[in-house]
Amino acid sequence: MKDEVKIILDICDKILLKNVDHHLRLNLEPNSTQFKTLKDEILSSELTKLLVKENLGGAGMTLNDIIPIVQLSAQYGTPIPFIETIISNFLLSELNIKPENDFITLTNKTENIIIKKDKISGNFKSIPYLNLAEKILVETEIKNQKYIILFKKGGKLELQKNFLSEPKFDLDAAELEIISMMEKPEQIDVQNLLINVRSIQSFGAMEKILKLCIEYCSQRKQFGRTLSKFQMIQNHISEIALEVAASGASLSTLKNNKKNFYNFKSTAIPKIRTGIASGKVIALSHQVHGAMGFTKEYELSYFTKALNSWRNEFGNEIYWQNILGKLFLNQNKNLWEFLNH
Amino acid sequence: MTYFNFPHIEEDDNLKNLRNDVKSFLKTTFNSNNIKPQADAWMYSANPEFSKKLGEKGWLGMSFPKKYGGREKTMLERYVITEELLVAGAPVAAHWIADRQSGSQIIRYGTEEQKKEIIPKISSGECFFAIGMSEPDSGSDLASVKTFAKKTADGWELTGRKIWSTGAHLSHYMIVLARTEKLDEKNRHSGLSQFLVNLKLPGVEINPIEDMTHQKHFNETVFNNVKLNKDALLGEEGMGWQQVVGELALERSGPERFLSHYILLDNFISEFRYKMSEMGITSLGKIISELQTLRMMSFSIAWMIQEKKSPDVQAAFVKEAGNVFEKKLIETIREMSNLIPFEEWSSSLKSLFQDATLRIPANSLRGGTSEIMRGIISKQLGLR
Repeated sequence: MKDEVKIILDICDKILLKNVDHHLRLNLEPNSTQFKTLKDEILSSELTKLLVKENLGGAGMTLNDIIPIVQLSAQYGTPIPFIETIISNFLLSELNIKPENDFITLTNKTENIIIKKDKISGNFKSIPYLNLAEKILVETEIKNQKYIILFKKGGKLELQKNFLSEPKFDLDAAELEIISMMEKPEQIDVQNLLINVRSIQSFGAMEKILKLCIEYCSQRKQFGRTLSKFQMIQNHISEIALEVAASGASLSTLKNNKKNFYNFKSTAIPKIRTGIASGKVIALSHQVHGAMGFTKEYELSYFTKALNSWRNEFGNEIYWQNILGKLFLNQNKNLWEFLNH
Repeated sequence: MTYFNFPHIEEDDNLKNLRNDVKSFLKTTFNSNNIKPQADAWMYSANPEFSKKLGEKGWLGMSFPKKYGGREKTMLERYVITEELLVAGAPVAAHWIADRQSGSQIIRYGTEEQKKEIIPKISSGECFFAIGMSEPDSGSDLASVKTFAKKTADGWELTGRKIWSTGAHLSHYMIVLARTEKLDEKNRHSGLSQFLVNLKLPGVEINPIEDMTHQKHFNETVFNNVKLNKDALLGEEGMGWQQVVGELALERSGPERFLSHYILLDNFISEFRYKMSEMGITSLGKIISELQTLRMMSFSIAWMIQEKKSPDVQAAFVKEAGNVFEKKLIETIREMSNLIPFEEWSSSLKSLFQDATLRIPANSLRGGTSEIMRGIISKQLGLR
């Protein structure tokens, strides 16, 4: 890991350790002091500009560099549009637009988009943390051309029924003010980028779940012994560890160069592997926690709900298995060639 | 908070070129010597002539020092060669254990004489080894071995029985884990030592054991008061347990833990790539993702070994994840063929499938059972 990444990771760790807890997750209000403090510290530390080019006032880091930061944020169960803002600012920076000094959230699920002068109307779906952000970045297609558009929040927000982890909203917008709008460069694939963020977050959440399992089973006693001494429990937790380790290793596909964040093969492999792992980790971690894990008060469920949400986004792992299988078959290579290129 | 790190290691151009060299060599050698690819070849397919050819190419003893006939190449280069051999189903069983773990044990713990005597022969593909760990009453519980080496005026006298020793009938040596002190129940890992035993010595008896596929690849090896010279001791007396743990990392982390039946998958795809159902394609995508992940883990461990780290626990991960993967591979092939009746398969594909199906139960036993691997992981997590 580069030294500058270690420094950033350390700064991020301190802020999240100080400000993020399960109370915040359960009582997340835009006007709460706890949220405002966290937001202020994150924005003032410039962490949301890590991927912004240096000439635009950012840190100029690469997508590969921020993998451990996305992972850390997920380990903490950070319930704010922190990563969404990092990615939004990155996309703006790629378009040579200056970053925003506020939280931004983003989506690529849009319908009925109409642009008139400097106003945008349409339906925007599944926007995470829209209650905590004032601006929205969208990727949308108009007349066979993809655009990236940043606009001010407004209109009617509707909280989606979801897995009860991060709040997601649908927005019916009428003539909201566009801040910037550019054609999307061909080399950027927003959907793959967002999928990869979810795979990294899933890995981070699973690491946290493993930690919770170890801590819980090392403290709780039944039949006169701590749970961790039961072989069946050890078996469950070692299986969780196995899945976590494999998920982490699958992210290697993203690390060769930043283009891999847009590449179908390197996106599909961790999407599938973390999706498979998530299913197993959710089931096993709840099993080892017993009824306690099923409560709202104990934090396990926050992370398992997040995993359920992320593994079902942008097509689940089974959908992606099919895509990957076809990607290989259509290339007319033998499997070993496909794996090595 | 990361519990088990598998650092990302890139395959550079040098390694990519090496892959191509190995591929070309295998194509030519298979054709000119009428070698047929086999599944699980590192266990079942021994061809001393082929091993010698690999030695001549400089592809055995890769990481050993040049002064002992080694090549002073990296573990990553060795990894690439190993993968290509497995994927091709090459007949590598004769030299496999010597090259994978026995040679490294000798380099690490052997005397100068042992190194000079044996390492050049391993590197030239002319010296084969078997593993002397399990016993009839000591399977997973390795510390309970009863084979005893008694100190004599001239050296040692070895008595006992080893079992499940793959390839012992073809091998020149076995590294034997034996007690050199009586078992202390309070400190079960003490009083063990490793010995370099020439399998041609008087008193050594090798009895093949037929496995459930009717093949004789593993053996019982009996030591009837075998006289060993003083220099048969490998490493330090009483440090056998510590030495064997390092050896197991080499045994468990390699790509043979998930590529043993790769040629079955490859042949299936070649035969039916245009006949697979949507369900079959979906299963294929899953197996691709899992296979590529395992490769990254194993490649990362090769780098850790190269960097003199101790990836014992990571090796247990690869071993166990590999076991799960290979078992799943059979089921995946069945899913991939959901619209292709068995009767339509070529006879060679059927044969590979049948062999793999029959051999798979051994995967999660050899080199340490799944239960032992999970125990190692649990211990590392502080649960034991």
